[in-house]
Amino acid sequence: MRKLLSSPSGLIGSLLLAIVLTAALFGPWLAPYEPQQFHAQSRLQGPSLQFLLGTDQYGRDLLSRILNGAPATVLFGIGATVLGVGVGSIIGVIAGVAGGRTDSIIMRILDGMLAMPELLFTLLIVTFLGGGTTQALLAVAVTFTPGMARVARSSVLSVRTREYVLAAIARGESQNWIVFREVLPNALGPVIVEATIRVSFAIMIGATLGFLGLGAQPPSTEWGLMVAEARQFMFRNPWCVAMPGLAIAITAMGFNLFGDALRDVFDPKRNH
Amino acid sequence: MTASVKQRPVLEVLNYSMSYQTEDGPVEALRNVSLKVMSGETHAIVGESGSGKSTLAWAVTRCLPANARDLNGAILLNSEDVLAKSRSELRDLRGRRISMVFQDPSSSLNPSMKLGDQVMEVLRRHRGMSREAARIEAEAALSRTGIQNPAAMMERYPHEASGGEKQRVIIATAFACNPELIIFDEPTTALDILTAKQILELFVKLRKETGVAALYISHDLGLVRRIADTVTVLYKGEVVEEGDVKTVFETPKHTYTQNLLAALPRPQDRIAAPAPETTAPLCAVENVSVRYNEPSWLTRIVNPAAKAHYGAKQISFDVRPGELVGIVGESGSGKSTIARAAIGLNPFEGRITFNGRHFDNWKAFDKAYRRQVQIVFQHPDASLNPRETIGRILARPLRLYNLAPAHAVPERVRELLETVLLPPEFVNRYPHQLSGGQKQRVAIARAFAAEPKLVICDEITAALDVSVQSAVAQLLVELQARSGAACLFITHDLNLIRQLAHRIVVMHRGTLVDTFDVADAVAPERADYTRALLNAVAVPTRPAHTS
Repeated sequence: MRKLLSSPSGLIGSLLLAIVLTAALFGPWLAPYEPQQFHAQSRLQGPSLQFLLGTDQYGRDLLSRILNGAPATVLFGIGATVLGVGVGSIIGVIAGVAGGRTDSIIMRILDGMLAMPELLFTLLIVTFLGGGTTQALLAVAVTFTPGMARVARSSVLSVRTREYVLAAIARGESQNWIVFREVLPNALGPVIVEATIRVSFAIMIGATLGFLGLGAQPPSTEWGLMVAEARQFMFRNPWCVAMPGLAIAITAMGFNLFGDALRDVFDPKRNH
Repeated sequence: MTASVKQRPVLEVLNYSMSYQTEDGPVEALRNVSLKVMSGETHAIVGESGSGKSTLAWAVTRCLPANARDLNGAILLNSEDVLAKSRSELRDLRGRRISMVFQDPSSSLNPSMKLGDQVMEVLRRHRGMSREAARIEAEAALSRTGIQNPAAMMERYPHEASGGEKQRVIIATAFACNPELIIFDEPTTALDILTAKQILELFVKLRKETGVAALYISHDLGLVRRIADTVTVLYKGEVVEEGDVKTVFETPKHTYTQNLLAALPRPQDRIAAPAPETTAPLCAVENVSVRYNEPSWLTRIVNPAAKAHYGAKQISFDVRPGELVGIVGESGSGKSTIARAAIGLNPFEGRITFNGRHFDNWKAFDKAYRRQVQIVFQHPDASLNPRETIGRILARPLRLYNLAPAHAVPERVRELLETVLLPPEFVNRYPHQLSGGQKQRVAIARAFAAEPKLVICDEITAALDVSVQSAVAQLLVELQARSGAACLFITHDLNLIRQLAHRIVVMHRGTLVDTFDVADAVAPERADYTRALLNAVAVPTRPAHTS
């Protein structure tokens, strides 16, 4: 942890992440107004003392809306990643441990899925499942699965040929012991790092889906949706597009920098 | 060489200290190091890993990483201060006035450039030659290094040449610009015994012809003795002893040098366990072959010529109870392949008989066999699970084979640590908190924890320093004598194996070429290949102790 905070990117990443997580956990209570409350007198205003970040086309307070949208947005990112990483790692570990024909078959199917651009693939799944937050989350998770499976598999493969694993095989250890005690604890590092970085992608894809109207539906305060709704009024009040956009950027950057720093910490070459 | 020429120092390192800035503060790598390399002489730097010998080479060429700091002292090349030079002056200096030969020839050549172009590049850059002149000169340089067909060699890429050929090309490049000083950083360590010998002979010959001053870095004391004129012994960044090679090696003054020399394996100092009384084998390997890269049916359709590669072919030998059998051979000779087959990591053909039971394939090895046959691997860093404590690592075989009741396990683990001379508090340590030698002791303890009848040691001393090496070898023999286990000791160190083994098996390119009692190692009926190997390594003599 000390090492994580000693690098500039780690420090900034952790700070941004702390802000975002605070907003996600306590946002609705911190918000000065109700997110759906109209202030008809003060529509499309810039930042002022009354409305710290300005208001949108209905006079709703942007700060309150962003704070209220934080849990949904961040949970979306984390949820989609956890699901995708979980399923992906299980598939990857199975492929890596089994090897041979099982490995070939699993990996060829995943290669096929990987051949499709990520966003396009997500859109395809959402079209198939129908719009909505849950559907979008599932779509992102499915999109993440093949990539994560690849990362988990390569990590398992590199650990599998280490001498301590060979020693365990030579000792006649059971398959379960070898996988859960010898291989997995040492193969998880890269998976965790990759997962952290992917949270930011998930948030961005989620926002994109919201923007396209395929994710969260109005009057949700999901950030991507906020950008989409305010788009028509972009020139009258740029703040109502910039603020949710900035929130997305900060969150994505926080997770990204944090993941980068985490990778450096896990890198054994830096530890010795 | 005249005396007046010999007087002039080419390289002078005066009271030089440097440190690396790390996260845990500065680490002094070199402390007040002084040495002189006179023109026309070979000066050797010897020391174990971490002694700073390579750091010194990098300091001389000024190729130091960004976190290195010069503290005090000076480095003079023909009386010019190297520390004061600018980057562009240094670029002219490197390759032209100082050249370097590294340890691993396969990583010091550019894999996407023809060998000839790599030699020519140096000539054109530093001697300002035209392409044509450089080509002629490069061919001449290559032929001086004993390459048979230099013109053809120049057209090859690094992967098309053998390790020895690559090292010859690098040496040709190093000598090509007639530099004032050539630094050799363990140039033969990555090579096989026979190739190493040829490269060494080449080095001696070229150096004599050109009279260039050489700084030769090595951990191999026997080798240094043969080729160097003067020597500096480094220990933890400090010079502990220096002087004429003969004087230093025959009458070492510093205790460190004495210990280092005493630790050298000498065939005449046997440290083997008592020889077995019976000739009845404990383990017999009969006609065992191991095939790699069996082509799949798809590959065979596309390429009917695809064939499996034999890692080992028709190998037969036996090990008697309590005996230590050495398997020696160069890299790629199949010695580790046989070990892996015997331990059940590789499929094999043929038959392994152990304790009266026959095994015809690797799937037949059961838990009883796996308990009685244990393995210790080469790399102590890789053979212990980094996320388990030493206590848990050692307890595992006891639990797996039910060798001790649950409540007695901690006590037994402490005993095991004691038998390998490690303190009991190590049970709570993690592998990365231990040194290489300590880790290897843990790996040995783990193997003996299973109360095996046969322990396979796959190059267990190769990654260790000389002094640690001899201690580990001694420990192994002691444990073997105490437990009565037989041992299959795989190594490329001929002197060491002649110290340890009762019988020796020699392998070459996957086949077995010779099996003999250690006493007959120098007998005339030895196979040609065995004799060539034995001739290639110098047998160190005992230093006259002055302590």
